[in-house]
Amino acid sequence: MPITLTDLDREEIFRYLGYGGAQPDPATLALAEECSRELLAAAQPRYRYAVYPIWEGGRGVQVGDTPFFLEGESIREHLAGCRRAALLCATLSQPADRLIHTAGLGDMAKGLVMDVCASVAIEQVCDRAEEEIRAKLAAEEEGPLYFTFRFSPGYGDLPLTIQKEFLALLDAPRRIGLCATENQILTPRKSVTAVIGISEHPVEPRRRGCAVCPLNKTCAFRKRGDHCGNQ
Amino acid sequence: METNKFSQLLQKPFVLLDGAMGTMLQKSGLPMGALPELYNLTQPETITAIHRAYIKAGADVIYANTFGANRHKLAGSGFTPEQVIAAGIAAARQAVRGTGALVALDVGPIGELLEPAGSLSFDGAYEIFSQEITAGAAAGADLIAIETMTDLNETRAALLAAKENTDLPVICTMTFEESGRTFTGCSIPSMALTLEGLGADAVGINCSLGPDQLPPLVEELAKWTRLPIVVKPNAGLPDPSSQEYDIGPEQFAGYIAALIPYGIKIAGGCCGTTPEYLGMLRKALEGRSYQKPAFVPKAAVCSPSAAVPVDRARIIGERINPTGKKLFKQALIHEDIDYILNQAVSQVAAGADILDVNVGLPEIDEPRMMVRVVKALQGVVDTPLQLDSSDPAALEAGLRVYSGKAIVNSVNGEEESLNAVLPLVKQYGAAVVGLTLDKGGIPKTAEGRLAIAKRILERALSLGIPKENVFIDCLTLTASAEQAAVAETLRAVRMVKEQLGLKTVLGVSNISFGLPNRELVNHSFLTLALANGLDLPILNPNIKAMTDAVNAYHLLMNIDKGAEHFLSAYAQEDGAPAAAAPAGEAGDLSYAVEKGLKADAGRITGELLKTQEPMEIVNGLLIPALDAVGAKFESGKLFLPQLIQSANAAQAAFEVIKAHLSKTDKAPVSRGTIVLATVKGDIHDIGKNIVKVLLENYGYTVIDLGRDVEYEAVVDAAIRHKAKLVGLSALMTTTLKSMEKTIALLRERQVDCKIMVGGAVLTPEYAKTIGADFYAKDAKESCDIAERVFPA
Repeated sequence: MPITLTDLDREEIFRYLGYGGAQPDPATLALAEECSRELLAAAQPRYRYAVYPIWEGGRGVQVGDTPFFLEGESIREHLAGCRRAALLCATLSQPADRLIHTAGLGDMAKGLVMDVCASVAIEQVCDRAEEEIRAKLAAEEEGPLYFTFRFSPGYGDLPLTIQKEFLALLDAPRRIGLCATENQILTPRKSVTAVIGISEHPVEPRRRGCAVCPLNKTCAFRKRGDHCGNQ
Repeated sequence: METNKFSQLLQKPFVLLDGAMGTMLQKSGLPMGALPELYNLTQPETITAIHRAYIKAGADVIYANTFGANRHKLAGSGFTPEQVIAAGIAAARQAVRGTGALVALDVGPIGELLEPAGSLSFDGAYEIFSQEITAGAAAGADLIAIETMTDLNETRAALLAAKENTDLPVICTMTFEESGRTFTGCSIPSMALTLEGLGADAVGINCSLGPDQLPPLVEELAKWTRLPIVVKPNAGLPDPSSQEYDIGPEQFAGYIAALIPYGIKIAGGCCGTTPEYLGMLRKALEGRSYQKPAFVPKAAVCSPSAAVPVDRARIIGERINPTGKKLFKQALIHEDIDYILNQAVSQVAAGADILDVNVGLPEIDEPRMMVRVVKALQGVVDTPLQLDSSDPAALEAGLRVYSGKAIVNSVNGEEESLNAVLPLVKQYGAAVVGLTLDKGGIPKTAEGRLAIAKRILERALSLGIPKENVFIDCLTLTASAEQAAVAETLRAVRMVKEQLGLKTVLGVSNISFGLPNRELVNHSFLTLALANGLDLPILNPNIKAMTDAVNAYHLLMNIDKGAEHFLSAYAQEDGAPAAAAPAGEAGDLSYAVEKGLKADAGRITGELLKTQEPMEIVNGLLIPALDAVGAKFESGKLFLPQLIQSANAAQAAFEVIKAHLSKTDKAPVSRGTIVLATVKGDIHDIGKNIVKVLLENYGYTVIDLGRDVEYEAVVDAAIRHKAKLVGLSALMTTTLKSMEKTIALLRERQVDCKIMVGGAVLTPEYAKTIGADFYAKDAKESCDIAERVFPA
């Protein structure tokens, strides 16, 4: 099902902007409204996913009958107890990148707020895609199913260098126009890849947390004793 | 020879392509995620058997299994494109032996996005395609099929690589969504105008949609090209879980046959189709005749997302041009691309349909700047561009990277100019402005100018440039110097239009040079010229009277049917006058800066300049105001968007001061020059851009090199601009090594500068280990660092 976002979570926007609990000033509030509206009009959410059986192989977590595997201690822990995993990728597509760029041209404050709105938007797209995966599996199967949070390349020791293969597996370049650069940066910029573990038994309701976050040493939220909301 | 085989094939009513390769390989056990092209080497007989099945079903052309055989996708596979392609073509040749079928080298997308969406350069893409295409030709392909493209510039790179490295015919197809656009926003008219111009032999649509969704798209395509039209759709839509496609063979064939009235000539199947589909398709087309669309050539230019037919007056914005503009010259010298982009955005907002781009200055490397500006402009505006230069090297550099169909400004009747410019126009499929002058200067009479126009047209035609791509500029002479010549120019416009049937161009603003009330003279002349047949006025769209004149002309001549555009542009004007700008608070400059009140900051600064020296205002008011805001930011009383808004207000104040100084001919205020760059391989630039805004508003001159910047380019800029401070940004762990290499090169060349670094994944410790002088934890701190490097 195509995903159309109709609203962005304002609280998230201001959290990303660093306001913590502080009341945003009227100018920034107005800017957030303006940017949300423009971004929702421009974004073209596209996503793809596939569910694979997984098992621990010699080189990491093996993904179905494919040449692809997930390497590292953190993903192994993340998927502990799961016999299947959904691989998900999503993007807001190129118009969102362009809008962020143009917004920042005359007014960098607008560029910043637009960028943050897009970050919030792509997370909401992932939330919706995840809901779809859960609903679809629930409809197909009898017993209860349990899901882990979305774990992305770059978290913990799951290398960023798998982005290109991750996308190839989902045929994402062709199907939704989502690619990775030579340096494994996702393009269009506002895109996500993630692994969701699926289990027939309850899995610990872990959250993403700071421990696996690649920014845990430099994060501005943490310096303030706060967190970004994914804790 | 190969062209002959293909053109012979086109003698048939319809040419049949094959169906899917990937689908067949998956049926024979290829796992998802594996590279299908490696089967060429490991199981060539499987590949040959699939090709044979398609030929047996009726395919006239088979696509070799080389779709992804490029060095980006094969990286890490242990095989080179040459190996994979040679084996793929060999397997296909094996299959066609004894049949009349032709073998196409299949060229798919690289799998990495080109600039500005990604980091792959146009030249980089061209090289990747050249390698594939050269290998394919050497291995014996009969033609080249570029397919499943979504980015017009990537398609251009592939097509140019085909045209420049081989003589093989080329079929180009792109992948559209139901909206009639590709993922990257490319439209059907833009595809057709651009690829036909570059010399494709057939164009069309493949993959993504089912054949039932194609009628409106094919209908549109037929309006924009004289080339044979290709369709190679999927077997409908895939079921998300089973991946089965929802249109069966017979239905598929029926839908394709239903496209005959829309003008298809070449047809096959993409994902989900099999030899059974192709067999049905052959049956469905048997006995039917080709219905060639009635194509009417039309003058038009385009960007990837916007085609602009010259079917009414189209405004060419003239503001991207340094001639007589001090600030623009300074922006070019400081490589201030954002300044140029803002000029573009404001002209488009004011109604420009096309933008003229002139970046010629003796002090700069014009071809290099042309490339940079064209790329940057295409990242922010959809408006087609007119490349304006007297240097053929700059024109070619710009044409090569320009995604779409541009206008070249200009060629004239001199032999030297015709020889240098027209071949470029032909090679890149552009339109061209022909100036009616030659060695003898500008002919006094309209007849003389018509004669030159005719000569330019004839030469263009002899090179294969279609007539509709030649626009003629009959040249505006200033009324104050040559009053009698004005009527002659108007007469020439009419004659060119009526006798040669060509579109006409005129630079309008020159007419009033040296006269008072220039605006009146300009828009009066514009109206006269439009009435005499001017199609493409070059003017300043930011002057309302000029765009108003064009709007009124369209209304009065019944071109703007039902006054639709006119009403939408002006209906509100009479009813409610625009709300007056809110009166500024009684506050002073520091209040305006803290509250981010741009207009007030500019206005107050203007007032202050009447009584105070510029530097007094900068050091006594602006900088302390910014410092106060900075302190509040650091203590968490005020947040990043507000900090930037304050910087914007300060910028407005600086602009007023700069303009004041450039009027009084004093050197501009600068506290020092800083080079900023996001390092090679990294395309995140928001952090760097925020740093730039703050630094500029603390009074520094910032040379912004953009993102994904080569090590060498940072060193060059630091030396050329004598920058004492270089700021580098990287956001990814994967690009930190580029930062390290850039610093190493700066040190190796002993560039006399300090280096500051920043970016989310950096730590102060890491900054030290890679040899940076400073680590900036945020944008505000980069300003503190700058103050230490450039003490007042």
